[in-house]
Amino acid sequence: MNYSALFIQLLPEAVLVITALLLLGVAVTIEARTGRPIPVDLTIVISSLGIVGACAALNFCPANPASGTTLLVMDPLARVFKAIVLGLGLLAVLLPPARREIAQPGEFHALLLFALTGLLLTVGTTHLLFLFVALELASLSLYLLAGFSRTAKAAEASLKYFLFGGVSAAFFLFGLSLLYGYCHTLTLPAMAAALEGGHSLPAFAVVGLVMVVVGLGFKLAAAPFHYWAPDVYQGSPATSVALIAAASKAVGAVVLVRLLLMGFGEAAGSAAWGLMQPGWSLWIGVLAAVSMVFGNVLALAQTSVRRLLAYSAVANTGYLLVAISANGAVAAGAALFYVVVYGLATFGALAVTAAVERERGDDSLGSFAGLVHRSPLQAVALLIFLSSLAGIPPLAGFVGKFVMFGAAMSASTTDGIPGLTWLVGLGAVMSAISLYYYLMVLKQAFVREAADATPVALSMSHRLAMLIPALLLVALGLCPAMLLSPVTQALLATLLGR
Amino acid sequence: MTPAWTLISAFAGALLVLLLPARSAGFARVIALVASITGAVAAAAACLAKLQHPDAAAWSFDTAWIPELGIRFHLAANGLSLSLLLLTGIVAVAGVLFSWNVTLRPRAFFAFFMTIIGGVYGVFLSRDAFLLFVFYEIVILPKYMLIAIWGSTNREYGAMKLTLYSIGSSALILIGLVVAYAAAGGTSFDLDYLASVKYAPALQSWAFPILFLGFGVLGGIWPFHTWAPTGHVAAPTAASMLLAGVVMKLGAYGALCVAMPIFPQGFAEWRLVIAGLAVVGIIYGALTALTQKDLKFVIGYSSVSHMGFILLGLATATHWGLSGAVLQMISHGIVAGLLFGIAGRVVYERTHTRDLTALGAFDLWRTLPGAAFAFTLATAASMGLPGFSGFVAEISVGIGVWKSYPWLIVPVAVGIIVTGAFSLRAMHRAFFPVRNAADAAAPMLPPLTWPEISAIALLISVSLAIGVYPMPWVTLIDDGLASPLFHSILSLP
Repeated sequence: MNYSALFIQLLPEAVLVITALLLLGVAVTIEARTGRPIPVDLTIVISSLGIVGACAALNFCPANPASGTTLLVMDPLARVFKAIVLGLGLLAVLLPPARREIAQPGEFHALLLFALTGLLLTVGTTHLLFLFVALELASLSLYLLAGFSRTAKAAEASLKYFLFGGVSAAFFLFGLSLLYGYCHTLTLPAMAAALEGGHSLPAFAVVGLVMVVVGLGFKLAAAPFHYWAPDVYQGSPATSVALIAAASKAVGAVVLVRLLLMGFGEAAGSAAWGLMQPGWSLWIGVLAAVSMVFGNVLALAQTSVRRLLAYSAVANTGYLLVAISANGAVAAGAALFYVVVYGLATFGALAVTAAVERERGDDSLGSFAGLVHRSPLQAVALLIFLSSLAGIPPLAGFVGKFVMFGAAMSASTTDGIPGLTWLVGLGAVMSAISLYYYLMVLKQAFVREAADATPVALSMSHRLAMLIPALLLVALGLCPAMLLSPVTQALLATLLGR
Repeated sequence: MTPAWTLISAFAGALLVLLLPARSAGFARVIALVASITGAVAAAAACLAKLQHPDAAAWSFDTAWIPELGIRFHLAANGLSLSLLLLTGIVAVAGVLFSWNVTLRPRAFFAFFMTIIGGVYGVFLSRDAFLLFVFYEIVILPKYMLIAIWGSTNREYGAMKLTLYSIGSSALILIGLVVAYAAAGGTSFDLDYLASVKYAPALQSWAFPILFLGFGVLGGIWPFHTWAPTGHVAAPTAASMLLAGVVMKLGAYGALCVAMPIFPQGFAEWRLVIAGLAVVGIIYGALTALTQKDLKFVIGYSSVSHMGFILLGLATATHWGLSGAVLQMISHGIVAGLLFGIAGRVVYERTHTRDLTALGAFDLWRTLPGAAFAFTLATAASMGLPGFSGFVAEISVGIGVWKSYPWLIVPVAVGIIVTGAFSLRAMHRAFFPVRNAADAAAPMLPPLTWPEISAIALLISVSLAIGVYPMPWVTLIDDGLASPLFHSILSLP
């Protein structure tokens, strides 16, 4: 094994880990010298620099590494999504944690960087055991981040997240062992080769694949594996939720697409109406339907905006599973585009919610009353985020949903008859219903009057954390090819190159 | 001046208004007026050019947009869409004039207003189904905001109901379009391409009703019309004018230029049902209008009735019927704008009531003679008296009905009679009340202002012009109907 080549290949991850260690050192030194914890602004600057450095380091990673390991890959999909995950992570860092919640910002941001490292490693591997290890590195950091504020609610959220996560990790690992038993290999391309020939999987391998899908369903907060989501979204620090909702979810989607399309294309079956065949396509289709119905219906009844966003996360997972269940490369590319766009919008909505919460004390719908008078910037940003989630043009969420549904429908068409009409139709109707609960928030912000209209002061980085995703959503809505083409092409190249 | 200036002026106007500094918010209405006049002039110039050189190469703008799905940014206009652009331009100018006195958050008001106008222009100009859908959906949120923030009676309820119906209709349209796209091979959303594909009859018979109903809901098809009266009543005047005048026309336009050409066989199967619903809508809307106490509700339900004529014209699948339907879109757009403008702005601003009985106490024909005069003309136009635009449109639709479904002409005639009844009743109660000599004389009300007079004059003169000399409009519409899109429909009966 060539260790210097390995180091170059892991340069982005190395930069993140070094930054995290540096951050811990600086935090300890400052606390020992002054007796006070390190200022939040300083940790934000250090972590952002680290992430930007990791992004730059990504350019030096060779496409065909000479390190000789089969654990890591740098295919086009990995490269694109490492950059995207770093971008989403940078946004999460920019959203400052509330001062009264986080006493030690140094440790908090260091953990955040470790989580990001895990997510990066997860994206860049086709070896299932390494995938599990990387996923656990990310998850363990995320469990801690979820409970970092040491409030009762955060503790509950963290524990729930940990218990559900632990069980699903067990499922995932057990599923992998069954798949290994059938294929005698742990890398996805080799598995795909072992499955070639079109004979159906034996029962235990099917059980294995189901378990793997369940494990990833938890990561993506697909119903019925979503029970952790509302409590985590509500109880955890906003910054942690932002990372879980955006970066971690995007990684979950990448892993799912990689696993199913790259490894188990032969075991897809079909979810097309009238032509249904057992296989992951059908399971994912059912998960999608359940998630869309569950998420949207339960979101209607929420009065806490964070819980509302959690159920909206479940619903949005449903939409992207629709596209994945179509078993087409363009549809899956569209799903990966959507998960990024969704992440930006949810992140932005959380950033606004965090600002409102810090000023008003809670995240109930009523706290948003008259936001447009208190802070026009926040109100307009919220309008952009929620409209994008609801699928209103000209924002990226609209394009994402339309492209996903169009590509899913066209991938499932045989003899001029689209097979996924039942699922896409359900998605379109559910998406229409979702406008109601997003409008409930917007109604408070724009229509209702506030008791007092004192303007809100926000830190620079918090403002950036709203401005950047808002601008990106508008730009990607007007010019979706900027992101859709690279993502789709990366996926196509990766699938062809296996 | 290409038709694209309609679109550009509207969105540029919206953006400029938003960027105004807070202390010069008063300029918002000026910017909106300039932008909407620019749009109207651009549309009128394009119409004139088309009439003078009917065979000149049509303007179009076409560039790749989302290559993964074969989506293009494709704008073009034939005579039919040009005539609807001009309608939009005229209603937009009148709408700004009728909103001259908006003082609550004027920048946001005019930005939302101009966004709706831009979206409507966009729908009429789009030749790509995805692009059309984008513009169609752009108007949803501004509609909600206009009604919920600046509206009156029950505004939050009316706004939410209207918005949910709109988004529901969009969901149906999305399903229909995506089915058409996928079944056609998943390569292009171009409307002409989709219309040229021969879909399997079994697919058409379930996909057509989904797509048609999607557009039909926005077109106020009975029994999915209930959003229209509540929404129009709750909306501020300019929004009522836009909603009834042009936004409902988007539904009819989509049904005519998207749903019917894409699935012509499905249309052939379902058109009797559509005709039936349209006739029920005509009579139901008119009868309901006959019993309303609120002047705006009378106009709201009359819109449902008039939209029924449009849908009926489409269902006849004859040249007379289609051309009459488009003419009715234009005529109703002008007349509904006028009626809502007078009832919601001119009268309500001065009397603060829209209750027919309460209005009687103001003795409006003496105290506000200008409004009474204008409303009388508007009522005549709405009833379809000769000399006004409604007459030409309804006669044309009637001929189409006679050719396709002769027996349906009877209920249509009943509908026309009831329309006369409710129009006269509302006019009589509100403006020409019977008063006893003993009643105290009502005090004079402030006379009409210049913006009001110019908006009223603009709308009435257009309606009269169409009624007296419909030829240019018919020529434009025929140009659109000659497109290959409609071959399969016009050859049906």
